[in-house]
Amino acid sequence: MDTLNLLQETATALGSDVATHAGFPNPAAGRTRTPLSLDKLLITSPASTYLFRIRGHSWHDSGIYDGDIAVVNRALRPKPSAIVVYTTDTGELCIAKWSKICPQHTTQDATLWGVVSATIHLTLNS
Amino acid sequence: MYALIDCNNFFVSCERLFRPEFATVPVVVLSSNDGCAISRSAEAKALGITMGEPLHKLRERFTVIDPTSPCSVPSQGRPSVVAYSANFELYGDISERIVSTLCSITPQIEIYSVDEAFLDLSPLDIDNYIKWGGRIRDYLLRQIGIPVSIGIAPTKTLCKLASHHAKKDLSTGGMVYLDPYHNAAHYQQRLQDTAVEAVWGVGWRLAPKLRVEGISTALELARLRPRQAQQLMHIQGRRLVTELSGTACLPLKQATPPQHAIARGRQFGHDTDSLGVITAAVTSLAARAAAELRREHQRAHDATVLLSTNRRKPNYTRRALAIRLTAPTADTGTICRALIETLEQGFEPYKYHKAEVILHNLSSDQLLQIDLLGKVDARSTERSERRMHALDSIRAKYGSASLGYASEHLSTAWQPRKALSSPRYTSHWQELPVATIVAD
Repeated sequence: MDTLNLLQETATALGSDVATHAGFPNPAAGRTRTPLSLDKLLITSPASTYLFRIRGHSWHDSGIYDGDIAVVNRALRPKPSAIVVYTTDTGELCIAKWSKICPQHTTQDATLWGVVSATIHLTLNS
Repeated sequence: MYALIDCNNFFVSCERLFRPEFATVPVVVLSSNDGCAISRSAEAKALGITMGEPLHKLRERFTVIDPTSPCSVPSQGRPSVVAYSANFELYGDISERIVSTLCSITPQIEIYSVDEAFLDLSPLDIDNYIKWGGRIRDYLLRQIGIPVSIGIAPTKTLCKLASHHAKKDLSTGGMVYLDPYHNAAHYQQRLQDTAVEAVWGVGWRLAPKLRVEGISTALELARLRPRQAQQLMHIQGRRLVTELSGTACLPLKQATPPQHAIARGRQFGHDTDSLGVITAAVTSLAARAAAELRREHQRAHDATVLLSTNRRKPNYTRRALAIRLTAPTADTGTICRALIETLEQGFEPYKYHKAEVILHNLSSDQLLQIDLLGKVDARSTERSERRMHALDSIRAKYGSASLGYASEHLSTAWQPRKALSSPRYTSHWQELPVATIVAD
């Protein structure tokens, strides 16, 4: 948690004055702008989006590493090239290319769990 | 026209979403403190497991599988059942996903319980209810991952009956459209096949009374004359019969009426006579009750602590400590301070099993406080409101663990046992479900 933020917010909420000394006024002040939201970029349908932790080391070439986060959207229909989370015969949740699980391009919906719409890799290990 | 969307054994379905290997085996979810079964899969029902059956009874009959241990090999001989501790954080998250999806279909929605919602379909342009219901069912199953049963009918009471059949009768595909004006034969058959006890609004008290009158099915109940119904079951009975025969008299309840009291209770993980542990439990429960109070825009004038020992052990004892607060308040600190003081004065060291905090004598926080006796200090009231606003907004943003009252954290020894709990898959970074890469 960002302690400074927390303190400032507490102070603001309690109504104490947090002085902001301004020499040169912010030129963008007064213009309406929406901060960029990673949520909006990554999560297009919140009700059907779940996050997974990726396990396995064999996809380094594709830039996907052990411990990365997968954004999984159940609302999407997979293209053959899509990366998906699916259920194996033994009931395990695995991650693979859709074309590999479903080579004939038949829709075996029973095995499909959701389509991976993004993976998140934190470069500074948290 | 109304629809009832009813999740099938909802808590079990939430657990199965992240553990597909349990999709076809008997699964139950246990109540707080791993007490008794509160949600059962169809396979568990088929084994004869009843609602509320305690865990120790299950252990006598079955091999109980712990879903949190990695190797859960079913043993030979006795049937096995997977038992989960309740994971309400997960169920709440999935429930919100379902509600938000339904709200995007129509804002005319009544959230009846954590796993049931009524929709008013009349403003929607639907020409084939059966197809529409099937589509909604597929949509929720695919997009959220939860199976539901759907009942569609001209009244809420008939919706309940229809969804009951959708759940029990597999040939329906989880969807029943019941309409006396559209398909009278089907309507009569379904009501004929419903025991009078299963009708929404007929409780265990009313059912024997109706049986004595020779009414044993929903159809017989629906055919009562309104006057006869009123004589037997008062005005509610008249309404019930009207609803069953296809005329709506129960409207959609969208806003919940203000509560008369707010209670928060917990069974302890282990019985305790320690004042410190009980103080921590009571403060924590009071903090949650006060937060609910503020969400409802209310203030409480009275507060009560109920402590009780284990009902199943000898010398069952209950102690109630009631206080009147100086003025109606929703301030966690004020309420906790008063409760702790009372607790310290009136505490009797029994081996307590359960604590409950009840805030009552509620009034709206929009009402001006009449201050004849000079008890209410306007300045301190305003400061208290700002403090509580700060507390609530910080907790909303950074999580409920970010800020709280110190006495809540004196001890965690009171917290319930949740030995078999699944991870909080959707609300904690450290507990996300895992997907394993399958090499090309």
